[in-house]
Formats: sequence, C-alpha cells, structure tokens
Amino acid sequence: MRRTLLLLAMAAAQFAAFETALRLWGHSEASPAFQTLFTPDPVLGYRLRPNSRTRFVTAEFDTEIAINAQGVRDDADIGPKPANERRIVIIGDSLVLSVQVNQQQTFCTLLERSLNRGPLELARARGGVYYRVINAGVQGYGPVEELLFFRQVARAFQPDLVIHAIFVGNDAEEAVTSEPRLHRTDPGAAGPPVQEVWQSAPNDLRRLARRSMVLQVARLRLLGVTDRLPSFGARPEPPLQSYAAHPAPRIDAGLRISRDCVQALAADAAATGARTMVMLMPARFQVDDADYGRLKDVVKGAGGELVRDAATARFDEALRPLALPQFDALPSLRAALPGPDVFFQQTVHLTPRGHEIVARALEAFLRGQGL
Amino acid sequence: MVFNSLHFVWFFLVVYALYRLLPVLCAVERAHRGQNWLLLIGSYYFYAAWDYRFLALLAASTLVDYSCGLVLGRLTDQRRRRWVMGLSIGFNLAMLGFFKYFNFFADNLHALFAAIGWQMDFVTLRVLLPIGISFYTFVTMSYVIDVYRREIEPTRNLVDFAVFVAYFPHLVAGPILRATALLPQIQRPRGISHAQMREGLWLIAWGFFQKIFVADNLAPIASRVFAPDAHLTGINVLLGTYAFAFQIYGDFAGYSNIARGTSKLMGIELVENFRFPYLVLTPQAFWRHWHISLSTWLRDYLYKPLGGSRGSAWQTRRNLLITMLLGGLWHGAAWTFVLWGLYHGLLLILYRPFESAFAALDRKGRFGAWLVMFHLTCFGWLIFRAPSFARLRDMTQGLFAEFRPSTVDVTGILIPLLLYTTPLLAVHAMEARADDVLIVPRLRLGVRYAVYVATLYLILLFGNFGGSDFIYFQF
Repeated sequence: MRRTLLLLAMAAAQFAAFETALRLWGHSEASPAFQTLFTPDPVLGYRLRPNSRTRFVTAEFDTEIAINAQGVRDDADIGPKPANERRIVIIGDSLVLSVQVNQQQTFCTLLERSLNRGPLELARARGGVYYRVINAGVQGYGPVEELLFFRQVARAFQPDLVIHAIFVGNDAEEAVTSEPRLHRTDPGAAGPPVQEVWQSAPNDLRRLARRSMVLQVARLRLLGVTDRLPSFGARPEPPLQSYAAHPAPRIDAGLRISRDCVQALAADAAATGARTMVMLMPARFQVDDADYGRLKDVVKGAGGELVRDAATARFDEALRPLALPQFDALPSLRAALPGPDVFFQQTVHLTPRGHEIVARALEAFLRGQGL
Repeated sequence: MVFNSLHFVWFFLVVYALYRLLPVLCAVERAHRGQNWLLLIGSYYFYAAWDYRFLALLAASTLVDYSCGLVLGRLTDQRRRRWVMGLSIGFNLAMLGFFKYFNFFADNLHALFAAIGWQMDFVTLRVLLPIGISFYTFVTMSYVIDVYRREIEPTRNLVDFAVFVAYFPHLVAGPILRATALLPQIQRPRGISHAQMREGLWLIAWGFFQKIFVADNLAPIASRVFAPDAHLTGINVLLGTYAFAFQIYGDFAGYSNIARGTSKLMGIELVENFRFPYLVLTPQAFWRHWHISLSTWLRDYLYKPLGGSRGSAWQTRRNLLITMLLGGLWHGAAWTFVLWGLYHGLLLILYRPFESAFAALDRKGRFGAWLVMFHLTCFGWLIFRAPSFARLRDMTQGLFAEFRPSTVDVTGILIPLLLYTTPLLAVHAMEARADDVLIVPRLRLGVRYAVYVATLYLILLFGNFGGSDFIYFQF
C-alpha cells in the first residue's frame, strides 16, 4: 500500500512538472501558444483568431506567425481594394497557411513579389497595377470548410482571382467527414456553437484531459498504437486510401463532394467578378523516393497497393469537367530533385526551397493563363 | 520483427505466457524440455518474420557446427581435430564472405582492374544480406573453437544447441554469446527470481528509452548533418557528430538492454554489452566498455591467436592493427568501416606507451583525458558514418577550417541534442559512480520510483514512435 501511494505521488508530481514544462516550452501544435491561433466558429468549427500572433518552434524550424484582423495570415490588414490593385486569394489548408516557414518565405508572398517584381510596398509606391496575394489557408481545412471560409470571410476581400488549393492526399477523405457542415451553414440551424458544446460536456474528466497537454500527447500516442493493432474479425483498411489501387467507396464520394465544393466556390467567385483556378498539391511521398518506398511497404503490409500518383490523377479527373484552369505542383517539385529537401522531414509541409519552386511554377502558369 | 514493433509485443506476450505456464502444468524436466522447444520454435518464427528464406542458412550453420562439435569431442588426434575446426571456420567464413562481402570484393576488384586498364566484365551477384549473419556465425564459431580448445564439452542435444544459436533476444544484433555462458543455462531447468524480474523490466524500459527517446530523436539531426549534399559549418558538424555518437550508442545499447531484459524475464542471463563507454579515459578502456561481447570475441579468437601482446612491440602493434581492421570490416562491407577500424587500431597503438601515465593522472588530468578521448571517439564516428571519403574529407575540413561557433544551429541541433542526451547522461552518472549498470533497480525506493516514472513519461511524451530499425541489424 505504501509503495503504491509513493508511486502514485511520484507520478502525480512528475505529471505536474511535465505539464508545466510543456505549457512553457512545448512548441508543438498541441501547445496552448499555438492553439491561441484558433478560435471556435459555429459554421466552420474553428478558424484563425483575428489579431493573434505566436512563435512556432520545432527541431526543424522557428517561425513567427501573425494573423490579421480579418483572420488570415498576414502582417497587414486587408481593407477596401484600391482601383489599381489586383487581388489573388489562395484558399486551402495547412499547405497554404504554411506555419513551418516565415510569411516572407511562403509561396503566396513569393508569388506576390515575383508578380510585382519586388515587395508589395515598392509596387504600390511605383503606381500602376500591382498584385496582392492573400494567404487564406487554414490548418486542417478540407474542401467543405474552404468553400464555407470563402463565403464567410474571403469573399469580402474582393478577389480578382481565387486559387483553390486542393491537397490530394487527404481532401477527399476530409470532404466526406465535413460534408454535414454544408447543410448547416445557417448559424441558427447549426446546433449549439462549439463553445456551448464544450461547456455542456457532461464528462469533467474528458474536459480535464482535453485541457492537459500531457494527457493530450498521451492520448495521441495511444491512438497511434491502437490504430496499428490488428482488429479481430474485420480486416483493417490499408492507409492512404486516396492512393489505393482499389480505394474504399468513400473516396469516390469525397471526390464528388470536393468537385461540388470547387464548383460552388467558382460560382460564388464569379458572382463577385472573380475567376477561379484549381491548384493540386501533392503529398511528400509523391516527391520523396525514400518516403514512397517506406509507405509502399506499409500499405503492402496492410494488404493494399499504393499507386504513387493515383490521388493526383483522381482529383484531376474529378475536377476537369468544371473546365477551370488547373495547376499541378507535382511536376515542378519532382523536377527540383535531386537537391536539398523540398519537404520537411518531420512534417509533410514544404521547406522554404519547396515554396520557392511552387511560387516560380505557379507564376509561370498564371502568366501562361494570361493573368 | 524488431523489438520496437507491435508484432514483437504480441509475439513476446504469447511466448512468455506459454513459457511461464509450462512449469505450472508439467513436471520440472518436462517443463524444461518444453520451454527449450518453445524458445526454438519462437526464435525461428522471430527470424522468419524478416525473411523465411534465410532460415535455411541459420539451420545449416547450426547443423554444421553442432556436428563439428560432436566430432571434435570424439577425436583425439590433434591434426584431425584442427582439420575439423578449420572446416567449421571455413564454412562460417565462406557463408559470411559470400553473403556480406561478395559485392564489396567484386566491385573493388572490378575497380582495381579498371584502374590498370583491364576491363573485366565478370558477373556480379546482387546478394541480399541475411539479417544477423555476422552475429550468429561468430556465436557458432566461438562454440567450435571452445570445443577444440577443450574449454567446453560438446553438447549432444541438438535442440539445446539450436536454442543457443537462435535464441531470439540475441539472434540478430547480439550480444555475441559464448557457449560457456549460455549453453549451461539452456541445458538446466531455470528459475526466475524476483530480482531478475525487477532488473529485466528495468532493462527493457531503459532499452526502449535509449532507442525511442535518445536514438530515434537524434537520428534526424545526424541524418541532416551527414547528408551527402549538406554544407554546414564546423560547429554544426561537431554537434551533428555528437548526435550520431549518442544515436548509435542509444540504438545499440538500447537493443542490448532490451535483449538482456527479455532474457532475464525468462531466467537466462546475457552478458553486459555496454558500460557507459563515453565516460572512459583511454582507447583501451573504450573497447572494454563498447560492444564488449564483440571486443572480447576479437580478443580471444583473433588477437590472442595472432600472438596478442606476447611478442615484440612491433608484433603487438601488428596484431592490434589486424584485429581492429577486421573488427572494422565486421561492421560492414565499406572502406569507411575499414578506415574506422584502422583509426581505432592506431589509437590503441599510440596509447600503449602512455598506459602508465594515464594511471597516475590527477582529477584535472583525468577530466582532460576524458575530454580528449570523447572527441577522439566522436571523430571515429565521423569516419564510421560518413557516406563517402569525399564527404568525410569535406566534413573534416569544415570541422577544422570553418568552425565558427557563432553559426551554431541552436534550435535545430543544440537544444534537441541537450534535451535528448541529458537524461541519459544523468542515469549514466549514477551508474558510473556506483560502477554498476544495474544501479537503478537497486536504488532507494523513492529515487527508484522517480527514475522509473520519469523514464516512462519521457518515452510516452517525447519518444519517436516511428518504429525505425536498429542500426546494428545491417551489420
């Protein structure tokens, strides 16, 4: 009994110590500092918190992130559009938001500088037509949230061109998960806001767990392990279904929902006088041979077959009937190899070099489209 | 199947449950035989989980050396006995040479002929390296040599011998066991004491800590620094080399500790393989604390038969150099490993004249000697890990000509390096002070629990659960 009490006391004391340390120095996406970037939203689930700012440090990068008053990543606010300003709004997920690099290194800002042949301030000062590229990416969004975000936030930016960035790796799956949001865009019909749901949660223990960084990390670890446990009875589904030779039916459904969202976004944009184009973003293993080899074995081990570019081909096929200009970032990223990494090793996001390559290729594409 | 996989967890739980159940269900001798059969079947399954085709090699090595052992036990004529031992060694070295070094020698021969203008288009085979072959061939060779030297009696029981060779905790990455240490434990019924359980569980937890927390978290830093196209200043090369030093130590010592721990849970003691090797002061002490089972094997079966230190100073130097060169080559078929062996051989030779001076060092002198030895060891790891000679030259050049401390990568290299090595070094300090690698399970209850809980928290919160392979599998 004495030993058990001592062990429990030790575990509790160290829990408190680790919790404190993680809160003070734990620069991960689960850390309170990073989470302050987000705020609950009754329609979107969450969005970037206007006027927030944080520093994000990991072993691979150290970045400053500033969210402006409109709730997108930018140091400056977005006011009414001057007559000589052309606005390009890039809608997407974490691959667009890019918290892994400083704002000046994102492909959005690099594209802006290339189009203006210099920084925005200089272009403004020069007079004449200049471009402003707005990074409207939000971590964790899929096509459904991106459409809703455009309607709720980005439409007000008066874009001339909307680039809808699709991450082919998981957008089909995320579209299926988020589809119910499309049917409750009216806040009155959306059920209780997230904050209320949070506060009305009956399980105090669960609430405590969600507020503890130690327990959150432990929970993620456990999920990681249980995901790999063989389930008895039904055979576990191989991972990366969007790339599977024979994908689950939900992938087709996800592609249909994604197409509908892109179509709806293009229609909404057209109603405000803006053009729309689609940008397909690849997963790291589509570029990195070693990563591909590893994942191929993982999928094979789970009884599936990984087709390296299947997701890109599927989105290309699903979105082509919309007749929107379509830019695929994959060929330019692949052409950049061998050379320094274009993706970070511990995340699946672009390095500064990856951003440069995408910005250059996108600029060439836009000019080719007669921007 | 690697220790840090769910497959192994399931495998071990099943084998261990049956292992503990047998003595409950059967009489002592029957349970003992049943346990040995269970270990044999389990070990072959463990090996087959990588590639079942290589089971034939394992079985062949077992049968040949079992038979040679029996014949050596019967023969009295020394010449014939030498022939049988030669046959066994020849078979093992041929197997090792073909599977591990064929491509290396073929490629080098091809390059050599090309250099003198002969284009030799001979066939090269792309031979796959059977996992653990360097370990189990050394295990079986040591058995035959020990029987030849009449240091042990040959075993007549094939199952016992097959368990000795294939025993899964040590099969693919050591420790390289001697028949004198392991066979008697396999041949007699085993009990499992409370202390063995406690120590075994600690060794497993500590081994996972060394692998998942230390090695796998430092691996990305080392990979970045040693990447073929990396251009880093000297300070970052130095820190990256430290990272690799602790990565390879955490990886290999972690494997050895998990192996020892799982084996202790089954009542079988395996030899200690690492003893805080980065705290030593001399090259000789390093090899007494690093991969102890390999260095003692090389000492007993190569260095001493060559003459050891019995001859003249030059003969001793020659013997040291040959032993270390072959020790380097044992690690892999690449010239960087040979150079690493040569480097350590030279360190041992250069150290010998100053042996007595080291014994008389005061506190400051000992600290200086430790600092120098640690950096000499790290330079050895630079040779070991460098992807090519050209890269080794560039990194060495950067280290000395472009040191520039102001360019240190604080967030990418320095802080993670400190974070992932400090807890390891804290436990090492305790172990070194007590001169006991198993001091933690023997600490006062409160301190012991504090270390246990901290180890588990660190693994859970900061461990890298990517499930990467152990580095020494490739050797």
